[in-house]
Amino acid sequence: MPDTIDLVDKLLADLKNVGGVIACAAVSRDGLLIRANMQKEQFVESLAAMSATILGASETATTHVEMGIPTRVIVETDYGKLVVVGAGPKALLIVLAGQNIGLGLVLLELDKSAIKLKEILT
Amino acid sequence: MVETGIPKLDEFLGGGIPKGKSLVFYSQPGVEGEIFGLQTVHQTLKKGGTCVFVVSSTIPDIVKGQFKEFGWDISLFKDKLFFVDSYNPLIGAPSNEKYVISNPDKIEDFNKTIIDIIKELPPSTIVFGSLSTVMDLCGEKETIEAVRTWNKMAMLYDHVIVYNFTAWPYSDETLNLIKGDLFNSVISIGGIAERVIFGQYFGILKSDWAQITRKSMLFRVLRPGGIKIFIPKILVTGPFDAGKSTFVHALSTRAISVDRLGTTIAMDHGHVDYKGFSADIFGTPGQERFDPIIKLLSGESMGVFLVVDSTNPSDFIRAKHMLEITKSYGLPYVVVANKQDLPEALTCEEIREQFHLPDDVPIVPAVAKDKIGVYEAFEVLIDRITGGI
Repeated sequence: MPDTIDLVDKLLADLKNVGGVIACAAVSRDGLLIRANMQKEQFVESLAAMSATILGASETATTHVEMGIPTRVIVETDYGKLVVVGAGPKALLIVLAGQNIGLGLVLLELDKSAIKLKEILT
Repeated sequence: MVETGIPKLDEFLGGGIPKGKSLVFYSQPGVEGEIFGLQTVHQTLKKGGTCVFVVSSTIPDIVKGQFKEFGWDISLFKDKLFFVDSYNPLIGAPSNEKYVISNPDKIEDFNKTIIDIIKELPPSTIVFGSLSTVMDLCGEKETIEAVRTWNKMAMLYDHVIVYNFTAWPYSDETLNLIKGDLFNSVISIGGIAERVIFGQYFGILKSDWAQITRKSMLFRVLRPGGIKIFIPKILVTGPFDAGKSTFVHALSTRAISVDRLGTTIAMDHGHVDYKGFSADIFGTPGQERFDPIIKLLSGESMGVFLVVDSTNPSDFIRAKHMLEITKSYGLPYVVVANKQDLPEALTCEEIREQFHLPDDVPIVPAVAKDKIGVYEAFEVLIDRITGGI
């Protein structure tokens, strides 16, 4: 029950502690925010919805050309990076990282967290 | 009648809490139940009533700070709001409040002060910040006996008496009494982590003056703002060029869209704060090539706006088809007959006929670009979602 929320919060807090991670959130596949670890709370619901769209659209696009499912979607801008990964059939994880951050460690931790989130939600 | 100020709850209670009645907010541990009491205090004050707040689990100044956090200015009501301080004496600190319980671990002390207040003040709303804390200090049996007396006294003197109670692992006997006979009304407050909707809900367990609605409402707590009914997802769908994005933007307090070349390619997302409701609105694209995205995003919605172009009956088949794609059958939905300002627009009745819509599906005329009809449509849909009375 509320324990699940605590577990997700803990997972997000750990992910936020990875060097370079500015914010992170767990989102349902259909675009509802589950929990977020983020400063600007009022934008997080839109970010959640859009990230679910990004990942869903990517998956639809690649599976249609028989490329399989994307491991992750990385969006790079001049000011930072947005990474979206699937975390099981119900959820996905998003991370906002700084512009000059090497993503190696972030991706590694993100993948681990995605597996954990999948476990928590089943 | 005293209103709780909590959207929908007053309506469910038949207008509020009648004079002389007692009510308990029965919360599971870990949910934000104490805010219900605070909101009741604020609403009473706003309506010109007198309030007594019994502070047990923290110092009164912190409680005053909490009111401020919610954006409720209680300094306007200085001579209408009294605090009963039963915390400072516990930690040996001096108190500035008019009423102080000098030995908060002695139920006799509580008894004396509360009964004095009941006799002294004009009919007021008396709110216990935390009955569980009183119980922890004074004992379960003793507290229950005292509550029985206070409720009777309150009835005689026409006060409304409200308790916040957190259901820690007390004895079954105590918990059953609190859920059962002790109060005129019991509102249960709990948390859910079902599927992906994580949230808090309230519902009426018991009320001896109103017909009980067996429906639970999701809520969230906004600072400022207090308790709002939370509707995680409302879908806006409809054929191409019906005005879905315009509708989302017209309705929302803030909204974003992904559109290119004048059409929505991913989705619209908007947030509505209106009349105590807090809802997130998802607008789908209309063109068939985006159907996979629609399927992806339409899960878990609680209601649907089907926006149609009133001047274009040839699209009605597609509109019906979209209800299917979004798996919206069975969900409450409202048809928004948009573009009513155009000369060739069909009337709602003509649309109902051409659409073969059953009589119980509401059709709301609208001009989304001028914000006409959008809030009406929202109210109609909300009423359907919350099982409006």
